This record gives sequence, structure tokens and C-alpha cells, in this order.
Amino acid sequence: MATVKINGKEITVEDGTLILDAARQAGFEIPTFCYQARLSRLGSCRMCLVEIGGQRKLQPSCVTPVLHGMEVFTENETVKSARSSMLEFMLANHPLDCPTCDKGGECELQDFVFKSGPRHSPFDEWKRRFHEKDEILSPIIVKNHNRCIHCERCVRICDEVVGVSALGGIGRGAKTQETSFWNTTLDCDHCGNCIEVCPVGSFMSLAYRYKSRPWDLKEADTVCPYCATGCQITIGARNGEVVRVRSKSATGINKETLCSRGRFGYHFMQSEKRLTKPMIKKGGRLVECSWEEALSAIKQRFGMGRKTAGIASTRLTNEELFVFQKLVRDVFKTNNIDLDSRFANKWVTSAMVDVCGFREGGVSIFDALKADTIFIIGSAISDENPITDYLIRTTASDKRKTLILAHPRRLKLNSSATISLKYKPANLGDVVKGIVDFIEKGKDKAEGDIDAAALRFKNASTITIFLGADILRLDNGTDVLENIAVLKTLLKKTGKNINCLPLFDRCNQRGAISMGIHPLFLPGFKKSEEEGMDCGEILNAAKNGEIESLYVLGEDIVSMYPDARFAKDAVSKVKFLVVQDTFLTETAKMADVVLPGVTYAEKDGTFTNQEGRVQRVRKIISCVGGSKDDLSILDNIGGFGYKSAKDVFDDIKEEAPSYKDILFDALNNTGVLVNGQGTGGMSQEPGVRSQRQEAIDYSEYPFQVITGNHLFHSGRLSQKAHVLVKLLAEPFVEISDEDAKELGLSDKEVVIVKSKEYEAALKLRVVKGSQKGVAFIPENFDSVSVNRFYTRGEGMARVKINKL
Amino acid sequence: MLSTQAIENIKKAIAKYPTKKSASMDALMIAQKECGHLTEDILLEIAHLLDMPPVQLNQVAAFYTMYNKRPVGKYHIQVCTNISCSLLDSEHIVQFFSKRLGIKKGETTSDKKFTLSEVECLGSCGTAPMMQINDDYYENLTEAKVEEILKTLK
Ligand code: SF4
Ligand code: SF4
Ligand code: SF4
Ligand code: FES
Ligand code: FES
Repeated sequence: MATVKINGKEITVEDGTLILDAARQAGFEIPTFCYQARLSRLGSCRMCLVEIGGQRKLQPSCVTPVLHGMEVFTENETVKSARSSMLEFMLANHPLDCPTCDKGGECELQDFVFKSGPRHSPFDEWKRRFHEKDEILSPIIVKNHNRCIHCERCVRICDEVVGVSALGGIGRGAKTQETSFWNTTLDCDHCGNCIEVCPVGSFMSLAYRYKSRPWDLKEADTVCPYCATGCQITIGARNGEVVRVRSKSATGINKETLCSRGRFGYHFMQSEKRLTKPMIKKGGRLVECSWEEALSAIKQRFGMGRKTAGIASTRLTNEELFVFQKLVRDVFKTNNIDLDSRFANKWVTSAMVDVCGFREGGVSIFDALKADTIFIIGSAISDENPITDYLIRTTASDKRKTLILAHPRRLKLNSSATISLKYKPANLGDVVKGIVDFIEKGKDKAEGDIDAAALRFKNASTITIFLGADILRLDNGTDVLENIAVLKTLLKKTGKNINCLPLFDRCNQRGAISMGIHPLFLPGFKKSEEEGMDCGEILNAAKNGEIESLYVLGEDIVSMYPDARFAKDAVSKVKFLVVQDTFLTETAKMADVVLPGVTYAEKDGTFTNQEGRVQRVRKIISCVGGSKDDLSILDNIGGFGYKSAKDVFDDIKEEAPSYKDILFDALNNTGVLVNGQGTGGMSQEPGVRSQRQEAIDYSEYPFQVITGNHLFHSGRLSQKAHVLVKLLAEPFVEISDEDAKELGLSDKEVVIVKSKEYEAALKLRVVKGSQKGVAFIPENFDSVSVNRFYTRGEGMARVKINKL
Repeated sequence: MLSTQAIENIKKAIAKYPTKKSASMDALMIAQKECGHLTEDILLEIAHLLDMPPVQLNQVAAFYTMYNKRPVGKYHIQVCTNISCSLLDSEHIVQFFSKRLGIKKGETTSDKKFTLSEVECLGSCGTAPMMQINDDYYENLTEAKVEEILKTLK
């Protein structure tokens, strides 16, 4: 520990603490430009100069650690005048075009000059000028080089956190430009984090350009609606129109970073394709009708008991999902309720709950990342959970840590991995089994990659295992999860500390399961008395005419269920189909009654992310058109009399013990991790195990299909967000360079992808280092809906790929 | 496109360092020796060889004046105008070249023989004013000396 005196105030801090941090702890703010807590230290802008007793020259506090007995001055005349001079130098070359700069009103340079800057400028020389017109650097970035102060935050965030390294300071001295390789259009992750960290109006958002001044915005802190990383976002609306999403520097687990979906995927909320009026089927056609008519039709015609079912999207809030399961169970009197969750069978979801210890409470990602060994399997994490990817990248830059990344595709995060394991999707289980075997048999010599990974496990003392949503989709998912459970037990036995976290692709997947959107358990994982049907079983029953009424809440089964033809056929046999959604999806088109719900920006409530962190969703705009918030719709049909999300939350606290201590009104930007509720309740039932069929001959179809979200998309929702569509509008098929070479195919050419069920022409992407025999097709596109390639009951789709 | 010889040389340079990208400066120089100046395509090729983000390679290339980003003539005249040289009127030397060759700083004569550049300190302050032409230093410059030197450049 070191005791230092800052402006006369004594403070004791850890050895090695930066003067900047010590001063902040002592309550003195020091202005900074190039310093950013999560980035490497640069010490170049000299804004943070302070005086150290006994030293003649001022020192940059952002790179200078305290020493015991040090006396520091951050507010004296010398420091103030240095600060003012530094700003004067910056302004010497700054265009001072604040009136036309988007950053005006929230610019760090403006603020610092206002606070500590010179009030005059003796400079009488030409300013540097790179260009007259701002440059469009990418579909999301507009760049003004003239305003840059060369803090290099953009360069470092892109390199160190995002892992793309698309930017650099090109040139020398005042003529440097922070830009792309050849100052040409960026082909990058389009995350916009360079825009967010830029202290001035140099990197700017194209979508937000000239849209508003910060003081004209109404802002609300809420949660990203895409993946289950659960990033905190701040939505800004002007005159009722959402004009931007930003991320605040010290807020949420994401701390100023977002991915392209989170930052630029907001236009779907006010898309003109939104459903704005209820519809009812008359004479075989859907026609608009009044809310009274739609709701009373449901109340009259929706059945009761075993022949009814409900399927809900995991993008809805906990409160809505809780009320939905209440509606299905208490009013429709059935346990036939499931979530979309990759359409996993109920045993797989239930095994996931067990293995990840949902009943034991939440695990903070930051605690999880303290482990010395991190193992990720079954998730294209760089695409699916980009901010989790960032957090792991920064953690893994500590070379003492081991990162084992197992996935068929070559991912961005592979470059940070100590060991990269490749496998064919159907053989995911073999990777886990291999590790278990190694440890069980007490081996200590590694032959091959899997052994090498296992050896790392053996030598580890704390381990975090991340389980991706790919596992949910495997037909032998339960076996895999069981092996993970065995692995956990084995490792625990040797005194190791293990955490297991899911990596989910929908914002409230964990919440949905905890709210009882599951055929096996009620809210709080209480075992339901009668076992209901899961999504696949419901569809199967529907196909046999055994489902008369089906309520689909926010999910597009026809587009997403793996076997499009089967799903469509099954849904068409339902006598009374209710779809509540924000868009007229393929499933909604088949409905008897369509209810227009709202997006997350139009409602209050909570999401529970993959860690088990409960965070507040806050309303910022009023319901679009004649749509109604989903909670009130469900409440109306069920006649429960809930007044608000908070009202429902009180009931959730009763039913789901892990939510008991959470205060709805007190939920702030960090959210609260759910508590443990004891390990009682459901546990792994034998039930349906591996659903693997007798061996099918796939030799004609050599590629195993793997699907999931593309980095710029999420389900079909992002298709309604035009900026994301601009980033990627067309589906593609991705294969390894080895396969491409063998087949004589090259990057970007159009190929024919054919399965037993379906054939389509897709653009080819060739990735170096992916597993051979694997084809990735994103699940996000209507034009080539990947579920059409699947055959129900066969698990993985298999395809062949040929020249056009 | 780099020749196989240049690629070989770059690979040899890589072997000297603990990480591939440490060989950036060597690799750029090898390429420049062969191609005269560095282009977008050449940088991409080198970045690929060094397994590094192209932008980071360009950061190096763009920072140093010794890497030519534009075509240069047969003789690249680089006059130092940093402090010691400028105190001894290097500006005059630049002007003199300008007049003699009919080109401004940064330009190349139409016969592609000479390029005139102004560079930072070349570490030969004791013999200022000085310049570098291709790989050779010329020191204690005067107008007369420059005339002499020009005569030797065929
Ligand atoms: S948008 Fe993201 S990936 Fe692209 S340059 Fe900026 S920080 Fe890098
Ligand atoms: S563009 Fe912005 S973030 Fe990047 S160096 Fe310039 S001022 Fe800093
Ligand atoms: S990582 Fe996930 S939660 Fe975060 S911004 Fe991206 S999609 Fe949203
Ligand atoms: S913030 Fe310390 S030098 Fe830039
Ligand atoms: S100043 Fe010219 S060589 Fe040093």
C-alpha cells in the first residue's frame, strides 16, 4: 500500500495505482483524452499533467504510478496553466466548427476548453486541413479528419478490444490521419466503437448525422434486445423518433462498447412494416379489425386443456413471459408451453439448466473470467455474443491465462486462443468425451489437440466453461451436457473451482426458462405436475390434428423451426392460431387472429441475461400505431388485473425464489444477479435421450450445416433494421479453404447448395482455417431460410455444394 | 507482386525476430529496393507475409520518410533540412536543386532521373548541410559541390 497526499488530502491506495486513479478516489477529477481504463496506456495527449512534489517537470498522471510518500498537486496554478496550454495547442489545429459538428454539446474537447481552456488564441497561422467535405469511411462511419486530436482511442479500441485492427494513425505529426489501411472504405465489424470512444467529432455515426443535438434528445437506459450478453444501451429519441443508440463509458458489463446490432439495429422499432392494427381471418383472408373484436374472438374461440398450446419468443420481458405462462397454464389449462430456444427438445433445455446451475444463482462474467482456464464450446461467440467476445479477448491478452476455443468455424476470437479445437458439428460430443476420458483415465501425456486441452484442465485451478447454443440444437445434446456434468464433477473432485455459463443468442433466453416457459417446469424451476409438450412435440401433435388452439407469442415458427415444410404443414392444421408479434411474419400470415405487440423500446420490464443478471428495460417511445404493449394484451385475455410490469414482478418474486431479493424500482445500470434457490426441484430425468435415428447414409451430402446469427443480424428481427441490412443484405454459405480448393470453388462465386429437402443458390465465402466438411449458413434471411434445408428428426442438415 | 527472391529475403528477415511483425521495417526496405516505391498492393502482400493487419504496416510505412510512397526517379535526392543543416542554410541547397533541375520539393524530373525530397535529420549534423542520394551521403554541401555531384550522376 502507498500513502500519498493529493492536493493536501491524504489517501492510501494499492501499490502501482496510477496517480490519475488515486486522485479520482480522493475526489479530484483530472481531464484526460488518450487515457481509457480498458485500453493500453499511451500517455500522449498530456491533458492529465500533474505536479509531483520535488519534481521539476509535470508528469502525465495516466501513466505514472503513485509512490509511497508522494505529494501530488492536480489543481495548482502550474498544472492549470499547463492544462490550458495543452488545450491551446490542440485548438491551434482544430477547425472550431462546433456549429456544424454532430458532437457539439457532448464533446470532450468543448467541455475541457470551457472548463480549463485558454480564453484567447495567439495563433495566427494556417490550420491544417485534410479535406473540405467529410469522408464516408464505411456504411456507418462519417469521418472528419480535421477535428481529430490524435488520442488514438479509436485505433486502440478496434485493435485491443474489438480485435479487428482496422484502424491506424497514418502519417506523421500534425499530418497524421486516424483511418483505415488506405483511407478507403472499411470492411470491418461495423461496431461503431470507434465512433463511441472518439472524444471529438472526428468519427461520427452516419445514421445519426445532423439528426439532433444532445440536449434535444430524450434518453432512456435500457438493455439491448439482441443477444443474451445483455449490454446496457442508451436510446435517444427526438420528438418521438428513435435517432440513436449509444453506450455510456462506465455503464453495464459492456462499458461503452456495443456490436453493430446493438448500436445500429434500432430502426426496426419504427419500421413502416410494423403491425399497427389487430387482424382477424375472414373468408380466408386476414383483415384489420378492432381490438375488441380480436380479443373477444380469442376469449371465445381459444380452447382449453391438452389440445391447446403456447410458444413464446425469448425476446420478451420476464414479466410478459410470466404472464404468458400463467395464461397458458391457468386459463388454457395446459403445460404445452415452450420457448423458441433453438427449438431444443425439453430434455436438452432442462439439462442446460442443470449443468449451468441456473438454480444456484447468477455468475458474474467478471468473476467467471478470473478463471485461469477458459473453455468455450458450441458457440460462434464472435458472431453470436460479440461483447462477451470482447471481454474474453481483453482477459486472454494476459498470457498466463489459457483460452480453449472449440468451434467448427474459424472465429475472430481464435487469434486470442491458446488452443483452438475444430470438430464436425455432429461430433461436438466427442470433444467433451475426449477431455473426460483423458482425465478419467488419469493420462498425462497429450496426443493431439483434445488431449492438450484436457491437460490444461488438469493443470488449471479455476476453470470457466462457456456452453453455446449450438449444443441445444444437437440431437444428442443431452448426452453432451451429461458429459459436461461428468467433467465438472471430475474436476471438482480434484479441488478445482468450476463455473459454467451459457452463451445464448436471444436476450431473455435465461429469463424465459426461469419464468416457466417450459413444458417441464413452472416459474422458479418447480416441476410441473404434468409433463407438457415441447415445441417439436406440439408441432408433431398439430400435424396429427391434435392441437386445436395455438398461441404464438413473438416467434416465427414457420421461418425458424428446423424443417420449414413440416412446420408450415403442422401450423396449417391448427384450427385456431393466435399470433402476437410486431411484424407480419410467415407464421402470422397463417393466423386466425393477429395481435400487434410492441418492441422493447415501447415497454417497461426486465430481461435476465446469460449470467443471470436482471436488468431493466425502459420505455422510451409510445406504442407505434394502434399496437398495444404485450403485457396488457396478455393480461386482458387472462383477466388477471395486472397494472404494470412492477406489479407482475412482485408475483415473480413470490414464484421464482431467485428473484425474491430484487427490487424492481432499484434496478440500476449494473442490474442484479439472481440468487441461488437451492438445488432442489427438477433434475435430469431419463426421459428421451439421444434422439439419434438409425444410421442414415449421408455420403451424397458431405457437408454438415451449422447455422446461427451473422455478426450483423439476429433472428429475423434485424432484417427490419435498415442499417443492418445495408451491412449485409444477402445470405451466403461459408466453407473452409480446404473444401473450396478441393471443389475448385472460389470466394464470392455463386454455388448451389442442396439438401434432401431444398436447394438454393448462395454466394460462397471461403474462410481459412475452418473445419473441413462444414457449411455455415446464417439463420437470418427470408430469401434463403436455412430451416428449409432441414429434415425433422435428423438433427443436423446435410448438404452438397456444387458450382452453379 | 514481389519477386520470389524478395519474398525469400523477407522470410529470412522474419527468421531474425521473435515475432513476424518485428520484421516490418526490413520487409518494407526489401520491397522498396525491388520496386522503387511502396504501393497498396505491395503493402497488402507484405502484411500477409508478416501475418499482421495491413493498417499497422502502413502506419510504419507512412511514418518514415525513407519509405517512398510515390514513384521516385533514378536518383533520389534527399536534402536534410533539420535543425543543424538548416542553420547552415540547407534551404539554399534545396532551392539550388530546384532551380537546376526545374522541379519543386517532392517532384520528379520528366525524364524520371531525379526526385527532390526534403528529409529530417540523417544523423550527420557534424557535416551539415548534407544530403543522401540513394544509399550515399554527401556532406558539407555548397553550390559548387552540388554541381560536381550532379555531373557524376549519369
Ligand atoms: S466500426 Fe468497429 S471494427 Fe470498424 S473500425 Fe470502428 S471499431 Fe474497428
Ligand atoms: S479520430 Fe477521434 S478517437 Fe481517433 S485519434 Fe482522432 S480524436 Fe482520437
Ligand atoms: S453483444 Fe449482444 S447484447 Fe451486446 S450489443 Fe451486441 S447483440 Fe446487443
Ligand atoms: S490522458 Fe494522460 S497523457 Fe493523455
Ligand atoms: S540536421 Fe541534418 S543531418 Fe542532422
